[in-house]
Parts: sequence; structure tokens; C-alpha cells
Amino acid sequence: MIIAENLTKTFRDRKRGLVRAVSNLSLTCEPGRIFGLLGANGAGKTTTLRMLGTLLEPTSGSASIAGYDVRESPEDVRRSIGFLSGSTALYGRLTAREMIEYFGKLNGMSGSELATRIDELVERLEIGEFQNGRCDKLSTGQKQRVSIARSIVHHPPVMIFDEPTTGLDVMTSQTIMAFIEQCRTENLTVVFSTHIMSEVERLCDHVAIVHRGRIAAEGTVDELHAQTGEKAMENAFLKIVNQMEANDVQ
Amino acid sequence: MFNKSLSFVVFRKELRETLRDKRVILGVIISPLLITPLILGTVMFFAGKKVSDMSSSVLNIGIVEQGSFPELIDRIESNESVKTQRFETRYAAETALRERNARAILVVSENAQTEFQSNRSASLEIIYDLANEKSQNAQNRLTGMIRKFDKESLVQRIRSENLPENFAKPTSIETTSIASGESTGAFILGMFLPYLIVISAAFGGIQTAFDLCAGEKERGTMETLLVSPASRYEIVQGKLLTIFTVSLVASICAITGIVVPLSLGLEKFNEIIDINISIELTSVFAMLLIVIPLALFTSSLLLVISSFARNQKEAQTYILPFISIVLFPAMISSILGAETQLYTAFIPVLNISLTMKQILGNIFDPTYFAIALTSSFIYALIVMRLSAALFQREQILFRT
Repeated sequence: MIIAENLTKTFRDRKRGLVRAVSNLSLTCEPGRIFGLLGANGAGKTTTLRMLGTLLEPTSGSASIAGYDVRESPEDVRRSIGFLSGSTALYGRLTAREMIEYFGKLNGMSGSELATRIDELVERLEIGEFQNGRCDKLSTGQKQRVSIARSIVHHPPVMIFDEPTTGLDVMTSQTIMAFIEQCRTENLTVVFSTHIMSEVERLCDHVAIVHRGRIAAEGTVDELHAQTGEKAMENAFLKIVNQMEANDVQ
Repeated sequence: MFNKSLSFVVFRKELRETLRDKRVILGVIISPLLITPLILGTVMFFAGKKVSDMSSSVLNIGIVEQGSFPELIDRIESNESVKTQRFETRYAAETALRERNARAILVVSENAQTEFQSNRSASLEIIYDLANEKSQNAQNRLTGMIRKFDKESLVQRIRSENLPENFAKPTSIETTSIASGESTGAFILGMFLPYLIVISAAFGGIQTAFDLCAGEKERGTMETLLVSPASRYEIVQGKLLTIFTVSLVASICAITGIVVPLSLGLEKFNEIIDINISIELTSVFAMLLIVIPLALFTSSLLLVISSFARNQKEAQTYILPFISIVLFPAMISSILGAETQLYTAFIPVLNISLTMKQILGNIFDPTYFAIALTSSFIYALIVMRLSAALFQREQILFRT
């Protein structure tokens, strides 16, 4: 379960002054459901997910993941999440197996429990063939599979995906999307950010459209279509965003 | 300060990755253990060869006799280390010198023999080329022969005047050094070894430090690590321990690469300089002990630079102030004597270099050692705190 209330993040930028990257953003994600954050580049999706993942500290507001407060128990929060994004890379000089093992150990696993879990993931994600190959020698698709294994080695109840398919080819993107769907099947709480409409339509049970650090609209995909009177998600998104900008000008 | 559990998980992984980095292996282990002794050996071989060539080669000496002086000239001509050639004029002799057919010219003045026989000084002139090594050598050899001739002639003059043998020697001086061959050798090592060890400890960890922080930011693995349950402190501790280990290994390899060949393999060098270079094992251990706070200090400084930089390239641009901080005190230490003012024990890097110098020179001062060790640990702790504080700052970790 993820609960965020009035999350706000401000940065001080030398050129732009005080920047409000996320402003009073609230959301609730439940187990067995995929919550999508849809927005353009710079909308505040990554900042929101980084606050949930305790990489960034909120300027104000609160959030709890699996019952742990992001400010008070950041280590417990990180132990409860699997975080996968386009910018979470692998260690090039470690083998695929060593990479998974390292993150298992960082999550407090050891001995036969860890070895069994790694074997299970190697088989499930078809890593066996290249499990002893160095990560810098792997193909993009192989790297993504190792990244998935790295993120779930410790059985996290919550999964956070920050634009996980950015820069990937169609085949590799499919692997990631299939994995996200599997997370829902396994009753995990999933929050997923993207700017690709088709991914939202395929995966999300609930969508929040984020613009300028705020939630412009939210609901199921059907509810957003109905709200805007648009059949295509792209048009619905543009209508909501334009409406918000018009309101801001007024 | 160290939180054992996850810090060691991070440390073990970082060390494993570092040991797979060929650049680190080359710079930290192979270069000081193989390349440095090889260079040292080559330099010494050629230095030794040059010395033996200089002493064994026969040099051409030109003689211009404006007046005869057989007492001296016969003696020079009978010396096997020179080959003499007579020239009619000074001009012809100088031409031969310029064309390197003669290496030095002895010009005997017109009335040299008369002056000599009447117990006065015979006027002689040596012409040589200061810019030419062989010519300098010939001049030295010629001067040596004339000095020997002078000495013998003086004895004859004293005898003929029935004067005591020590008539021309008002004082008699004998110098005695209490230093053994070993301690003199250690003193010579003290001139450059501390400098070398400081450089190795400081620069040995650069590659690793830059790879572990700035490199991780560049490659995107930093975010992967930060979403793990390891706290920022544990991550800093693990990384710092890795850089420290590499720096320490670099120092040990530097010591080994210099001391072992000098102590064991290069007897010829010892023969040449007539000093036995060796270091006692206790001195080596004392040096290793004192290098620990230094390695901690420089490792933390490197981690600060690496944490601050966006990428490895940017980290390299920040390295200049670091080099100054380390090199300047290290260079001063090679100028200052080992027995120095106590306040220098508070100056970072310099105190370590001077302590090593003292250890090697057998003038161990426990007070100086204790102050240097303690203050260095305190400085290391301060910089460690700084690097840990930097790691807590989002603006630093997510600088792009």
C-alpha cells in the first residue's frame, strides 16, 4: 500500500530561483492494482517516485509505503520496495548472478535462502545462460532481465517503476510490461510512471495525469475518456493538460 | 563510526569490482612492484656503467711545451690512463680540443722548469671544455696527476731543507662517523622514500575513488545503490574503506618496489656508493603504521572530490587542489631535516613524511610520533565526516 498526502518538493536553482517540482500531490495505491503516473517530461513524475523511494526528502507533506513513513523509516521503506527505472543501471564488472546476490545481501538475505532465491529468479527470468557473464557484456534485453531480478530479489510488497521502458526496443519493453502485469497478479502494489499512452491503456487500473508537479485529473482509463469526451488517451491527456494551463492563466 | 553489517557488504562488492579493474591493478600493483624496480635497476645499471667507463677509459691529453718540464711531463706520459700528444702551438691544441681529438690540454710555461728547480711554483695551464663530460674527466685526471706530483715534490723539498716531515702540515685532521653503513643507507633512503610513499598513498586511490562515486553517477548505478536499504553512511563507509585499502596497498607496493631491490639485488650500487642500503623490518612496520592515517586522510579527500563531481571528467578537473595539498608538504619534507620543530607534527601530510624520515634516520621521537599520529587521525576523521555529510545532500548526489 502506498499513501501520499500533499507531497511537495522544491529545489533552489541558480538560474530559475525556487522551483516547485511537485506541489501538494496526493495518491493512494492499493495491492493488486497498477497506479499510473502519466505526464510529459519535467511534469514531476520522477521527483514524486524518488520521494516515495526515499531518494529525495519531501519538502512538505507525508508518504508511507507498506506502513513505513518515508521520513522516519527510510531504510524500512527501501527494504519494502523494488525500484526499477531507466536510470538504475547495473555494475559492469559484476556478473549477472553477483549483481542479484549483492542486492540480496543489501536487503539482509544470506546463505541458502539467498542462493535458492537467486536460482529461482535465474530460472524464472531465463538468466541461466548468461548468469556468469559480466553485466557490461550483456545485451540491453539481458540487462533489463537482470535489473528486474535485482529489484525483486528480496520479495518487496511494493514495486515502483519510473519510465522503465524508456530507450528500450519493442521486445524488451514487452518483457518489462509483462513483468509489471505479473506483479499485479502476485498482489503487489505497483506505481508506474510513463509518458507513453499505450502503456497506460494496457497496464493501469488507475491513472493520475501529472502536470507542473500537480495531479490534473485521475481515475480509470475509461473514466478519463468519459471525463474528456475523447476516445484516444492522447487526446484526453492533451485536453486535461490544456484545461489546467488555461485555469492557471486565469 | 563504522556500521559493520551493510558497510562490509558494500566494501566487499566494491573491492571485488576494483580488483577487476585493469587500470587499478596496473597502477597500484604491477607498476610499483615491477616497472619501478625495472626503471630503478636500469638507471643504476647505466649509472654504474658510466662510473666504470669513466675510470677505465684512456683519455687523450694534449701537451703544449712552451718550455720543457721533463720532471712532470715524463710522469704524465708514463701514466697508462692517458695518451699524450704534443702540439706545437696553443692554437693547434685548442683546435684538437674542439674537434674532440684531445680531451684536455696542458700548457707548460716557458720558464716552468727553472721556477720548479728554484723551489718556486711552475706555471701550468689546463685548457678543457666545461660542457663536455669526457673533457671534464680528463681535466680531473690531469689535475690529480699534478697534485700527486706536487705532494711528492713537496716531500723532497722539505727533506732537502732538513725540515720535519710535517713542516707543511700545521694540523692533522681525522674524521670519524659513528653511523654504520646501514644507518647511512637508511638516511639516504629517508631523502626520497617518505616522499614516494606519500605520493603512492595519495595517488594510488585516485582511480578507485573517481570510479566509486563520480563514475557511479555517470553510469547510473548510484541510483540503483541508493534505493537499497543501505543507509548513506553505510554506503560512504563501504566506499571509503575500499579507497583506503587500495591506497594502503599502493603504499605497501611502493615501499616493497623500492626497498627490496635496493636491499637485496643491487649490490653493485652499494659497492659504487660504498654504503650498504638496508632497512630494518621494525622501521618498515612503523612506516606502515604511520601511513594508515595518511591513507585515511587522502582517501576521504578523494571521496569528497568524487562525491561532489558530476562525472569522472569533472572529478579530474578538481584534482589540482588535491595534488597541491598533498605534494607541497611532501616536497617540503624532502628539504627539511628529520629533527625539526615540534609544531610541524600538526601539519597534515608533512608530519607523516617527517615521521618516516625520523624512523629511517634512527632518530625516533615518541612525542613527535604520537602527535603526528593523533593529529593525522583527527584530520582524517574530519574529512571523513565531511564526505559523509556530502553524501547526505540530494543536490550533490543528483547533480546532473
